[in-house]
Parts: sequence; C-alpha cells; structure tokens
Amino acid sequence: MNQETKLKLLKQIILISAAFCILVAFLLIVNFWQMKKSNPLESQTIEALVQRLAVDDNNEELRKEIRSFDLLARKAYFTSAWQVKTGAYLLFFGGVVLALALKIRTDIQRKIEPPETITDDPMMNKFVSHRWLLVTGGLVFTLALLSAFLSNDYLKSYDPGQFVDTETSSQTETIEVIPIVESVATEKGDSAILSNAVEPVPQAVAETGGAPDTPKTVVKLAKAEDFKKNQSTFRGFLGQGISFHKNIPTNWDGSSGTNVKWKISLSKPGYNTPVIWGDKLFIAGADKTSRVVSCYNRHTGKLLWEKEADNIPGSPATPPKTTDDTGLAAPTMTVDGNCVYALFGTGDLIAFDLDGNRIWAKNLGVPANHYGHSSSLITWNGKIVVQYDTAKGGRMIAINTANGDFIWDIPRANKVSWSSPTLLESKGKMLIITSADPNVIANDLETGAEVWKSPVMSGEVAPSPGVFNNIIFVSNEYAKTVALDAENGGKVIWETDEYLSEVASPVAINGLLFLATSYGVLVCYDAMTGENVWEKEFSSGFYSSPMIAENKVYIIDMSGVMHIIKADRTGTIVKEPELGEAAFALPVFADGKIYLRGKSSLYCIGE
Amino acid sequence: MKNIGHKIVFLSFFVLILVQANAQRFPKPEFESGYEQPSPTTPEPRSNALEYLDVLILFASLSLASWLVIKRRSRRGVLWLSIFTLLYFGFYREGCICSVGSIQNITLALFDPVYKISITVLIFFLLPLVFALFFGRTFCAGACPLGAIQDILVFRPVSIPVWVRKALGFIPYLYLGLAVLYAATGTDFIICRYDPFVGFFRMDGPYTMIIIGIALLLLGLFFARPYCRVFCPYGVLLNWMSRFSKYHMTITPAECISCKLCEPSCPFDAIEIPVSEKVRTQKVLRQNLKRFSLYALLIPVWMFIGGYAVSSSHVLLSKAHQDVYLSELLIAHPELKSDTKNLDIKAFLESGKTFDELVANASLIRAKFKSGGWFLGGFLGLVIGIMIMNQFVFRTKTIYEPHKGDCFSCGRCMDYCPVVKLK
Ligand code: SF4
Ligand code: SF4
Repeated sequence: MNQETKLKLLKQIILISAAFCILVAFLLIVNFWQMKKSNPLESQTIEALVQRLAVDDNNEELRKEIRSFDLLARKAYFTSAWQVKTGAYLLFFGGVVLALALKIRTDIQRKIEPPETITDDPMMNKFVSHRWLLVTGGLVFTLALLSAFLSNDYLKSYDPGQFVDTETSSQTETIEVIPIVESVATEKGDSAILSNAVEPVPQAVAETGGAPDTPKTVVKLAKAEDFKKNQSTFRGFLGQGISFHKNIPTNWDGSSGTNVKWKISLSKPGYNTPVIWGDKLFIAGADKTSRVVSCYNRHTGKLLWEKEADNIPGSPATPPKTTDDTGLAAPTMTVDGNCVYALFGTGDLIAFDLDGNRIWAKNLGVPANHYGHSSSLITWNGKIVVQYDTAKGGRMIAINTANGDFIWDIPRANKVSWSSPTLLESKGKMLIITSADPNVIANDLETGAEVWKSPVMSGEVAPSPGVFNNIIFVSNEYAKTVALDAENGGKVIWETDEYLSEVASPVAINGLLFLATSYGVLVCYDAMTGENVWEKEFSSGFYSSPMIAENKVYIIDMSGVMHIIKADRTGTIVKEPELGEAAFALPVFADGKIYLRGKSSLYCIGE
Repeated sequence: MKNIGHKIVFLSFFVLILVQANAQRFPKPEFESGYEQPSPTTPEPRSNALEYLDVLILFASLSLASWLVIKRRSRRGVLWLSIFTLLYFGFYREGCICSVGSIQNITLALFDPVYKISITVLIFFLLPLVFALFFGRTFCAGACPLGAIQDILVFRPVSIPVWVRKALGFIPYLYLGLAVLYAATGTDFIICRYDPFVGFFRMDGPYTMIIIGIALLLLGLFFARPYCRVFCPYGVLLNWMSRFSKYHMTITPAECISCKLCEPSCPFDAIEIPVSEKVRTQKVLRQNLKRFSLYALLIPVWMFIGGYAVSSSHVLLSKAHQDVYLSELLIAHPELKSDTKNLDIKAFLESGKTFDELVANASLIRAKFKSGGWFLGGFLGLVIGIMIMNQFVFRTKTIYEPHKGDCFSCGRCMDYCPVVKLK
C-alpha cells in the first residue's frame, strides 16, 4: 500500500468513525433529554392516581392500575439506562478507532511548519479589546441592575406571625382588642349571643412591644340584626338558608323582561352567589387570567368598582386546574359592613373595604382539589371561617377580619370536600358545623376547639349542613341523609337514604326539612322524625340550594325556573317564574327584591 | 498527539462515569414489610499525620515542578508530575483538599469568628502563592489536579483572538468576587459546588455536573485549559503573584534570537511577541495618552456603577442562601409549611426554630448581601477600569517571552527554541 492509498483509507476511516461517534452522542443526548422530559420516576399520572387512592383507599382496581403504571415507569427507566450504557461503550469504541486513525495520519503527514508571519497589529488588538472590555463590564453591571428589577423580594411581604399556628399562638402574648360595640336592642326570641351580636372579640395581635392596654386596632363589628338585614353570606344569615326579608316577588320573566328591574352581563364566570350589604351588591368572577371582585349599586345595577385580586404573595403563577362546573370563583364571598372578603380557587383570600380599597390579602396555600375549591366563606364576630378540606389534608381556619391574621388554623382528618360551614348557636357557644367525609364536625368559633364530631358522611361531600332547633341535617349522594343532635354530641336522630342531595344544601323551617336532588326531586321531610311529607319531581335538576323567604321555599333549577312552594305540609306550588338562562347560584333576597345570577348575567327582580 | 492513547482512555472513562452516575439515581423502594433502611454513617475525618503528608506532597510537587521547568527545562518531567498530581490529589484525595477552594475557607475564617480554619488549609492556600511569587505559576504546571486533567487533554489548541481572551478574562474576577461574597455571608462554597471535575475524581456527581465537566474537557481539546483561563478564581491570585516572579521560566535557555519558532507553541496564547517602536507615531502616542488618562479618571466611576449595580442585585444574589431560599419558599407557598416530604422544610421543622426567626435571619443575610454587594461591585468596577486603561499602555519589547501572569509554566514552548545554552 503506498502512502497515497493509505491516506485515502485513513481519511475514510476517520470520516466514518467520526460520523458514528456523532450519531451515538446525538442518540445519547436525545435519550437523556427524553428521560428528563418524561421523567418516569416522577410520573404525574402515578402521583394523580396515588392521590385518588388516598381518597378512596379500598379501590383494588386503582391499586392495580398504579402497580402497572409503576412497572411501566421502571421498565422505561431501566431500558433507558441500558441504552445509555450501551451507547457509552459504542462511543468509547468509536472514539478509539477515530483517535488511532487520526494519530496514524498525523504521523504520516508530519512536517515542519514554517512560522507564520505576524499579521497581528498589537495596537489594533488592544483597541478592539478595550471596546469589548467596555461591553463586558457594561453587560455584567446592566444584568446586575436588571436583576434588581426582576427579582421579587418576598421577605418584604412577610408580616411577623403570619405562620403562627395554634400551638405557638397560645404561647405568644396577646393583646385584647376591644371593639366598639353599640348597645343593641334585643330582638324577641333572640338568644344571648345573637342579641349581643357579636361580642367583643379578643383578637390575637402578636406582642410588638406596645403598652398592653393600648388596643392596636379598633374595629366596629356588625350586629346580628345587620346580618339579618343583609344577605351577606352564602345561604344568608348564619348560613342557615333563611331570609328575613319581606315583599319578595313571585312573578317575573327573564326573557321578556317582566319585573326585571335591571340586568347586566358579567365580565367573568363564577358560581358564587352575590352578597349584599346596604345598597351594595358584590359578586366575584374568575378565569385563567385574573380574578375580580365587582361591586354594584343594587338599586340601579351600576358598576361601582371592580378590583382584581392580584399580586398576592404565594399566589400560584398558573392557577390550579379546575373543572368547568366549578371554576376558580365558586366560593361565595362574605361581607360584614366593613369589608367584603373573597376566596378564589387559587387559595387567594382578599379583603376590600366597601369602597373597593384593598385592605389585606394572603394565600392560604393552593388547594389540592380535583374539581376546584368551592367552600364558601362565612364571617361572624370579627372572624372569617374557612373550611379548607383539600386532598392534602383538611384545615379549619379562622381569620381576623381586621388584618387577615390567622386566629386559629386547625388540621383535621377530613378528606377533600366542597361544602360550606353553617353557624349555629348551641349551649351559649357559636358552633361552626361542617360536613365532609367522614366526619360532621362542630367547632367552637372562638377557639376552634372541636366540640363534637360524628362519622356519618362519606364520598365527595358538597351539600352544606341545614339547621333547625339544634338539629343538624346533612346529606350526600351515595351516602345518606342524617339528622344529628347538636346539643347531644352529634348523636344521630334519624337517617334515610331515600333521597340524597348531590350539591344542593338542605334547609329547614317550621319543623320541615327541604332537600333538593340533582335529578330534579324536591322532597319535604318531617324534621323530627324523617317521615316523608311530600315530594315533587321537576324536569330539571338542582345545583342551587333551596332558600326560605316569607315562609316559602325558593329554589331555582338548572334550567333557570324558580319553583316557589309554600314551606308547609301542603307543599302548594305558588308560582314557577322563569329566568330564561341556566342558573346555579342561590337567590339573593332584599326587601321587595330578588337578585338572581344566571350563567352570564345578573338580574334584579322587583314587582 | 503524542498522548492520544491515554486521552482516549480518559475520555471513555468519563463516559463510563456518566453512565455510573446515572445508574445510581433510582430511588429506594418504600418497604411495607417493616424493613428498616440502615442509617447513613459519617466517615471519620482524615488523621492529622495524613494531612501533613498532603502538605508535604504539595510542597514536594511545587518544588519539583519549579525545578523541572526552570532548572531542568523538561516538559516530559512536568507532564509526569502532573499525571502524579492528577492521580494523588485528584483521584486518590478526590479533589479535596484543594488550593483553589481554600479561598473560601480563608474568607469564611475572616468573616465568621466561630469558624476555625485548619493549618493545612492555610498552607494549601499560601504555599502555591508563595511559589508563584518567586517561580511563576509552577503550581498550575504540576501541582493542581484541575489543571492537570485539562492539560493532559490539550489536543489541537487553536489560538483565540486577543479581544475574546481579554473579555473572557474578566470572568475569573467575577467568579472570585462571588466566591468571596458567598463564603463571607456563609451562604455557600460555590467554587466547590460548581467544581466541574470533582465528579470525575469521585466517580459520582450530579448529572449536570458531569455533563459540564465533559463539555469543558471536550472544549479543552481545542480551547486549551478552558477552566484555568476562563473561570479559575485562584488563577487570579496566582496571576497577580506571578507577575512579580523573579525566577520565572523562560522560553529560551539563553538569548532570544527572535527566530519566531516558539511563536505558535503555546496552547494558551501566553507568549508575548516583540513590539517594535515603529508602530507608534507621535500622534498615536498623544492619542493614547489622552485615552489612558481619561480611562484612569473613569475608574472611580466604574467602581461606583459596579457597587451600585451589584448591591442592587442583592435580592437575587442572596436567594442562594438556605435561609433566604426557605423563607421565600414558605412565604410564597404557605401550604408547604408542614410538608415533610420537602427535605429542607423537614430539616427546618426539626431544628425547632420559629418561622419569625428564620425570616429575621434571612433579612439579615439579605442586608449583608446589600452591603457586600458594594464591595464586590466596587472591586469589579476597579478591575474592569484597570483592564480598559491597560489597553492603552504599550511597552517596547524585543524578545519572545511568556506573559508572566498568564503563563502556566507548562514548559511546552521550551522544546521549540533552537538556542542551546553554552556550558
Ligand atoms: S489556573 Fe487554577 S485550575 Fe488551572 S492549574 Fe492554575 S490553579 Fe489550577
Ligand atoms: S510554559 Fe510556555 S507553553 Fe506553557 S504556558 Fe508558559 S508560555 Fe505557554
């Protein structure tokens, strides 16, 4: 073989082995990148399934599914590991061949190279270098400055005590804040707590060195009668579903405009029910891009203000996934005359005063909830009560209305739920009653302490508890309807599985319990015995809950027909006016008026 | 080309480590049968005697390197020495103890009164600098494992344009400054955390670290000793010292005859070529002087801008501190506050500290970064100011010489010189 052919051959070997090495390296990188992207070890599918298993831990099918997914992930992982290993050996082998060929070729070709002539002009070099140094220095310092604008100093948004939980807060010294309470005219039949409205609340304020007798903030709290005057919470006064308003219209037609005082279309979707304080009506809406609270003049329908709930520390950059029938603005807001409080599916809790000034905001932690968080807020005695049952554990939370601080925050063993708290005064205490899988729990509003619990519920609980004379009614589809004795540790009084509610919450008055199902049955039980008094079937189902006003049951079905029925043993249908659009929110009452949220519009109805 | 064989062996070796590092990443199974995972044990510290042995070996290698390159003028000798260093300080001592990283121990000792520095670390920091002050960077030639692993893999070095080298030459100062800032605030030892080759020495390491290491070594086939030239923070100090070295190695054993033969020999572009008088006219000289004075006057401005800029980036810079990171994580995601699956949070919860304390400490650290940022930025401004100013300084030069600051004293150029020393 002469020199020429040798060189030719070597060139070919070099080309082929180099191509081979590049190909293998490329495949290795692709493999690495794929593994990084799919990362079988942290499969989201498995995680989601495991989460489901946490809710439903007897599901053998699910277990099997998880196991097979796990096996698949392991297989993917080890196959890729094998590929990497084999690839590495191939690369090594190719590299050796390439290097040998290169070496032999260089040896053959070696000759003395004459020194290059100097073409570099040192002056010019230095001049160009000085420019590039200017660029480098400028770039580094500009980047540093830029980072100052782009990075977020979370430490500044921290207020001390933000993370104090119950155990630690009991150790912190607290100052009693005495709210100014005006003397209250006791209403007949009102009990002690209700008539004193809202006793001075000791609001926990972490000791900051101030004299112990100077209150930090003095908040004027609303009285019980104010709450009765305004449907300020989901299901009205104490969340019990009963309105105290008079002259409620019974006749309207949304599409022709009969008795429609005004109608406005809403900028953002939401399943929350509007709330009212005085002349103002508040409503929340949210989509993926933003979350807003809007305030309208309830007499004219004029938009007074609309504010975004944004820039909240801890709020997720992308909102959690929710289903279309829940969305990010399912929880109903609550208003107490000082502020309106809104909670969104992102876990953002925000307070605006009635003029739309933002007072405080915080994130409660993004709720792990496969439909979306929907439990509504309720406020009483300077506290906002939040039922925060998520797939990662349940919490009952009381938040200081004045500053958004946690008053107490108690973990609980309940699974994720969608129901809202109901308040009930029992034995001189204001109790928070909540229904979730597996426990119906009564917590003391003041301390958060669990007063009793009753393990009677199961499944994905959405209906909130109803109340009549210290009897509590809970219901859920695929579970049962149960009446519990609130004064007797939550003892079961009666139960039935004849009709079960999926979403609508039961309401009780006059010794009768009304329950609506998602397949269109409204049933009336004797509240004491559970005896079926009457039942009516309608063509459309109920997601909205029955409300009682002027001794009539008002319940709007999913097609937008309001069924107005006497709340007595006859169950006479009074009227069935139509809204003309789908409806899921509850009717909101004010004297002589009724406000209805349709799927996209808000109606004010008055005769 | 001579060492192609072991170059390939090394390369394949890295790939295998990569595979190895990958294979260990599978999470341990969760046992339901009650099996208890054995708890990890902490290895014993190295005995004093062995530590002194390290010091001794460092001293011996430095002396030997200096002797080999200055007296014996043997490139081959230096090569074998660097292979020994690679094996001993690299693979046997697993890249730790290391002069490059010792900067951080020294800094921390200066700023944290509680932190005690061992005499060995101090010697490891000082000895190479002292040698550099007399003999040039012989440490880089034969006693630094990081330098050795790159030096062995110099394959087809290409010459890098001056302006690129100058611009990249700022990075080591930046790295040094950041390393000092992070060590002084007790945040992190970034030189160690981002040491690209320690993964090879320990045959284990995070995937990205190994990838970066391999990338650097591959780059080093053409851009010789990339870590030394573009990153090494210790190199900055060695460079300063070496500029004063009296006995620095020379290319020629006797008189340089300007034959130009050595010109392409340095893979690191460290040879300075003669600059003749005639390039400079009076006009150019005047212009240069003007520029020189202008840039000299601008140095304080650079320092102020630098100080202001770096200090205002303190929010970003301080995020690397564990307490700051954890505080911000929890403020941003309060739902994690009892998430024991997150090891950082678990450790914090077990420490018994309150969240208020954590945030208070984080704020303190952040404040330190703010004031430290002024020093770091001022220093960087000074460096860039001087570097720019220096571009208008010309010294006449008649012979081929290594740049005392940049030369690694590897000895390659010596073999190219045809001049023989007459006995
Ligand atoms: S420049 Fe730094 S890394 Fe390179 S040999 Fe010198 S000390 Fe070691
Ligand atoms: S000894 Fe010679 S070849 Fe080595 S770095 Fe110095 S000038 Fe370059």
